[in-house]
Amino acid sequence: MSYLEYNVTRIPTGLRKTLHLNWPLIILLTAVASIGFLMLYSVAGGSLRPWAEPQMKRFGVGMVAMLFVAVVPIWFWRNISALAYAGSLGLLVLVELIGVTGMGAQRWIDLGFFMLQPSELAKITLVMILAAYYDWLDIKKTSHPLWVFFPLVMILVPTALVLKQPDLGTALLLIMGGGIMMFVAGVHWLYFAAVISAGIGTVYAVIVSRGTEWQLLKDYQYRRIDTFLDPANDPLGAGYHITQSKIALGSGGWTGRGFMQGTQSRLNFLPEKHTDFIFTTLAEEFGFIGGISLLTLYAMIVFFCIVSAMRNKDRYGSLVTLGIAATFFLYFAVNMSMVMGLAPVVGVPLPMVSWGGSAMLVLLAAFGLVQSAHIHRPRANK
Amino acid sequence: MIRTPLRPLARILSARQKGENPDAIERENIRVRHEEMRDRARRRAEGRLLVIGAFFLFAFVAVGLRMGALASSQPSEPRTGGGAASIVAQRADIVDRNGRILATNLITDALYAQPPLMVDKARAAAELARVFPDLDEAELLKQFESKRKFLWIKKRIAPEQKQAVHDIGDPGLLFGPREMRLYPNGKLAAHVLGGSSFGREGVHSAEVIGVAGVEKTFDGFLRDPTMGGQPLQLSLDMTIQAATERVLYGGMKLMNARGATAILMDVQTGEVISLVSLPNFDPNTRPNPLLAGVPSDSPLFNRAVQGVYELGSTFKIFAIAQALEERLVSPSMMIDTRGPLTWGKYRIRDFHDYGKELSVTDVIVKSSNIGTARIAIMIGAERQQKFLGSLGFLEPTKVELVEAPGAKPLTPKNWSEISTMTISYGHGLSASPLHLATAYASILNGGTKVTPTLLKQTGGQPGPRVVSQATSEVVRSMLRQVVVRGTASFGEVPGYAVGGKTGTADKPKERGGGYYKDKVIATFASVFPAHDPKYVLVVTLDEPVETSGTEPRRTAGWTAVPVAAEIIRRVAPLLGLRPEIEPGAVDKVTLTSN
Repeated sequence: MSYLEYNVTRIPTGLRKTLHLNWPLIILLTAVASIGFLMLYSVAGGSLRPWAEPQMKRFGVGMVAMLFVAVVPIWFWRNISALAYAGSLGLLVLVELIGVTGMGAQRWIDLGFFMLQPSELAKITLVMILAAYYDWLDIKKTSHPLWVFFPLVMILVPTALVLKQPDLGTALLLIMGGGIMMFVAGVHWLYFAAVISAGIGTVYAVIVSRGTEWQLLKDYQYRRIDTFLDPANDPLGAGYHITQSKIALGSGGWTGRGFMQGTQSRLNFLPEKHTDFIFTTLAEEFGFIGGISLLTLYAMIVFFCIVSAMRNKDRYGSLVTLGIAATFFLYFAVNMSMVMGLAPVVGVPLPMVSWGGSAMLVLLAAFGLVQSAHIHRPRANK
Repeated sequence: MIRTPLRPLARILSARQKGENPDAIERENIRVRHEEMRDRARRRAEGRLLVIGAFFLFAFVAVGLRMGALASSQPSEPRTGGGAASIVAQRADIVDRNGRILATNLITDALYAQPPLMVDKARAAAELARVFPDLDEAELLKQFESKRKFLWIKKRIAPEQKQAVHDIGDPGLLFGPREMRLYPNGKLAAHVLGGSSFGREGVHSAEVIGVAGVEKTFDGFLRDPTMGGQPLQLSLDMTIQAATERVLYGGMKLMNARGATAILMDVQTGEVISLVSLPNFDPNTRPNPLLAGVPSDSPLFNRAVQGVYELGSTFKIFAIAQALEERLVSPSMMIDTRGPLTWGKYRIRDFHDYGKELSVTDVIVKSSNIGTARIAIMIGAERQQKFLGSLGFLEPTKVELVEAPGAKPLTPKNWSEISTMTISYGHGLSASPLHLATAYASILNGGTKVTPTLLKQTGGQPGPRVVSQATSEVVRSMLRQVVVRGTASFGEVPGYAVGGKTGTADKPKERGGGYYKDKVIATFASVFPAHDPKYVLVVTLDEPVETSGTEPRRTAGWTAVPVAAEIIRRVAPLLGLRPEIEPGAVDKVTLTSN
């Protein structure tokens, strides 16, 4: 990618590896994280405490982790994929047993110095195991029903565990991320058509049957769906966040109110202002321009990942890169749609910006995998 | 698909001739084939990537467009979460038939503490104990100094108390907004409304759930956010409910009764205009259910709906109406009333001796048990059972109260001939006063069955026919004569042509073993105006004793009837009925008139 890479014919070793890092990606990630620091500083009312400073420390730790993962050869990561996946499943089971409950869900394991959220870890290990599986699998068998069945199980087991917490957002991300992996790996498109049409058919049947004698759900369940889909029905319950964040976006306008001038977040209208709904602060203080800039940064990160994957002839490296790009994309696409009222409210953080330890560390480590795949990609032996 | 063979025979043979290793050819071919496969897979992967890329791009564009649309939208003023106007919509109001509020919501606060945030725990505890005298200072301090991070102090506080807590000024004392159910009319219509309590509670809100009455029956409707705060409109009329309650309360005291109930029902639609059960309670501070004793002694007990009583002679009208309907008797037919009527080991007596015989009309007017029993024999058990069933006496009422399905009428296990006879004058079958009002309405409105309802009705089809129009008219005139010259002479209300039937039933002993001699249930089931029935009023008094005479009088004619008459006198004008006064003689022309 950089000029340094011209005429390089073999995989770099030792310290030379740092020269072959995907530097643009690192710069983009740092830029996004910096926006996050600014926002956390602003939300706290112009103070590094309680959010901005720990977040910076975490970013530092995360960058070190990323570099560490990056210099370890990608084949090592491929070989421990199954182990990592099994480990994260174990943690998910463990969180059921000894987890710490917060905000109505049991998601965290208290490690003493750090609250670990195994479901974040599971997103990445799922990508790893699927990539390793398709790397191992004979390409001819990719669309054979038996060999389609195994990855389905791999996706559904952690999804079921996460749903039980309950964490609908992460479950959706797991299913969609896994689905994208299978699609990119080349599973026959008829499978996807069948699943999608079955899903649409089910939803259609559920909606059409409403009010008839054979309706599939109870009345109150339908009302819950109504509120879920249209929070305006319940402006003080599920719809409260959405209403407030729409107001914030509207009040930001095109250029925003200026740094530290946001009202919605500063005046505590939004309880989740530093986590899932931090985008509203950005949109209010920097307006459309700020929002679209962040969106562009995200898009560029995904773009660089896709380019790196396309240039990589190693199937595992390429699939891992794409899977992480897809996971990253799903994170911010779902979060932004939710904040803007395009999608129902499910708890998904804004990656690298929202306050939160597990998500930040895990994402940076995952980008370490992307870097490792990039550094250790096979070169043509000329 | 045609594949190139891995070991083409011609090349293998030629290689062998040249002395080369033929396996090299196979390896070479395998490599070529794998490369082809890999290229195919790569092309497909690139196609897939393109699809995914397009999907990503679509998502970016959608989010970007939405961001632009929101950025260009008109900003509106931010609102706080505690905004009063918006929380009110959480649980819908309940209103009467004219839209007047029976139940609504009040914004109040809950007080909680977070001890880790507290500055001066001892002072806070002392001050709190001063603001809320029911709190114990030592206990509070103990709680504050324990390891707890959160504790509720008061679930509902008044604005003055909130200010007083603000004045304490401790940052660890915090308020959470609360929506509280308020019944602004106090005890009015308590048994219909039921009451509510808190369900799941959080710092920012608490769930209000119905625990009885329509609050529970329509809990789902009232809480449904998709209804947009549309109120629940009842058939009750608040003014008439209040008048009925007040008069009935006075009557209950005058007649020294333990309890009383009154039901006013529209004869055409079955709408309950007022429903009173005394003693009552205040749904704002709903008392706890009784832990010991008879549940019917609790003020929570709804006598009109939950109470099943033998309703006595008020039942006679059903036997007469059925006999008329079946053409077994005519109003002027003479019935043998010599007593006592002996049937097996049972003897049926009358309150007075009515002589040799009475006309059918006079059997009702004088309320003869013997005469009614003889008519019941003509009808027979099977037909009687069917007729009472068609009036709704064999199953719980369908009124919209959660308590209603539990009040199943008590019917004899074996509907023998003696049961037929006793039931015809209201013994051996227990039903609620609401059952009685419904049955009267069904017979008197022209003969179509009504279903009792607490919801305001708009139009609606008449129910199935129970008696003919002609029978209905004959029965009306009989009931009118009961008031004009029979047992309910105190029931006359000038201008409103009241008709009705009294019923006095001895109370059964709670532990079984026969009936009390000096405790009765006195009922008056009335209709007004009798010639064109609009409303049915049933008044039932529990253990009334009227003591103004030389000896205590307990019959309905002396107790329930005057109370019912007073209720009619009060509510008939409120119902919009004009008194029908016989025009007096035309005044003579006087000197001063011209």
